[in-house]
Amino acid sequence: MLPLALRGPALRLSEGDKAVCEELRLRMGQPLAAVLPGGERLVEGTEVTLPLLEQMVELACQASLHTVLDSLRQGYLTLRGGHRMGVCGTVELRQGEIHGFRTLASASIRIARAVSGQGNWSGAELLRPDGRLYSTLILAPPGVGKTTLLRELIRRAADGEGMAPQRVGLADERGEVAALWQGRPQLPVGRRCDVVEGCSKAQGLMLLLRAMNPEILAADEITAPGDGRALLTAAGCGVTLLSTAHGQDREDLMRRPLYRPLVTQGLFQRLVTIQRRGETRNYQVEVLS
Amino acid sequence: MIRLLGCVLVAGGGAWLGIQASARLRDRVTAVSALIHALGLLRREICGRGRGLPRALEETACQAAPSVRTFFERCVRACRALDEQPFQESWRQLVHELLELSPETLAQLEQLGEVLGRYEEDIQGRALDQAKECLSEELTRAKGEWERMGRVYRLLGLAGGGFLVILLL
Repeated sequence: MLPLALRGPALRLSEGDKAVCEELRLRMGQPLAAVLPGGERLVEGTEVTLPLLEQMVELACQASLHTVLDSLRQGYLTLRGGHRMGVCGTVELRQGEIHGFRTLASASIRIARAVSGQGNWSGAELLRPDGRLYSTLILAPPGVGKTTLLRELIRRAADGEGMAPQRVGLADERGEVAALWQGRPQLPVGRRCDVVEGCSKAQGLMLLLRAMNPEILAADEITAPGDGRALLTAAGCGVTLLSTAHGQDREDLMRRPLYRPLVTQGLFQRLVTIQRRGETRNYQVEVLS
Repeated sequence: MIRLLGCVLVAGGGAWLGIQASARLRDRVTAVSALIHALGLLRREICGRGRGLPRALEETACQAAPSVRTFFERCVRACRALDEQPFQESWRQLVHELLELSPETLAQLEQLGEVLGRYEEDIQGRALDQAKECLSEELTRAKGEWERMGRVYRLLGLAGGGFLVILLL
């Protein structure tokens, strides 16, 4: 992930720091910084320069910027191992849209780690009598573990772990669930999972529906009306849906025009809300229909 | 008898030197032509199939003529060591070791290294087209030189050998 000039000093961080390091931050003219639970720690003996930042981007995209331009325009790149590199600097606008970066100013590498937040929760409340999943919506505020739970449910369904094995189609718009790298998921999504990324969730869901004959369709974070419409179409085809949304609870969900129809039209039969208490997470399942 | 053998050897040696010099010119024509073809393949892989640079270079190396295959194989290896050196620097070094080229063509190929893998597909395509154009001019020059100088070298070799024989006799 890092050019040699930065890798050596970064590897000199203590084993304890390396084990809990969440991010690496690179800001032009500044030393490399490791983001630890206690805050940022500067890595002595390093200085981030423009050629180093450019080399990092080249390394991240394997000298193939043309293959990741759409993602880079969103400000991030998915790396091998499911890690994610974010970049910023002076952007180049064309017709009001970000076309690219004229100059890079800083970058961050978010280190992906398996989160074992589900504990021993079996998710049995989400299963039909035949062992298949009910259409389920996962609801929680940002940073609580919606995506992690979604990925875990996808993996269990695709591997047939604790439930009947099912073909899962995943519309992974921002590459946060499966983190494809050269076609290979970098995060565990199971054996029977087909992933579409790099397009909107609505486009991805329709593509999966047409092309891959999924039994479950999954998408992270419903954020646009088009996503809801695509889910509605998919539900009409008899496919089980798995998705996530930002929110506190069912009342919060019903207050928002984007989500209300998803509940009232019976798209989802189960609602999982997540509460985080320290390192543990509590999962509450509500029957929607 | 030994004298005669010596004469034949000297004359043959001279002729061989001339033929070798002529063959070098011919090989250059073949290599430049192969490079043009290989850049066309690279363009097809990047712009036509949207492949990443390492994969595109790998495909090109597989399909390129033997005279330029090693160059593309070394480029593939450079892509595997991006943490050590940016690709454009590796490319620049490799281009200098590739062929004996005119300074203009060399400069054009060096510039290509600054574009490959760093811009959109169409910009890379245009840079590849420009490099191919420049190489086509180089090919015309190389062909002309081979036709003109190849015969001269062969004759010079033969004549030089004959002259030495006369001188030594």
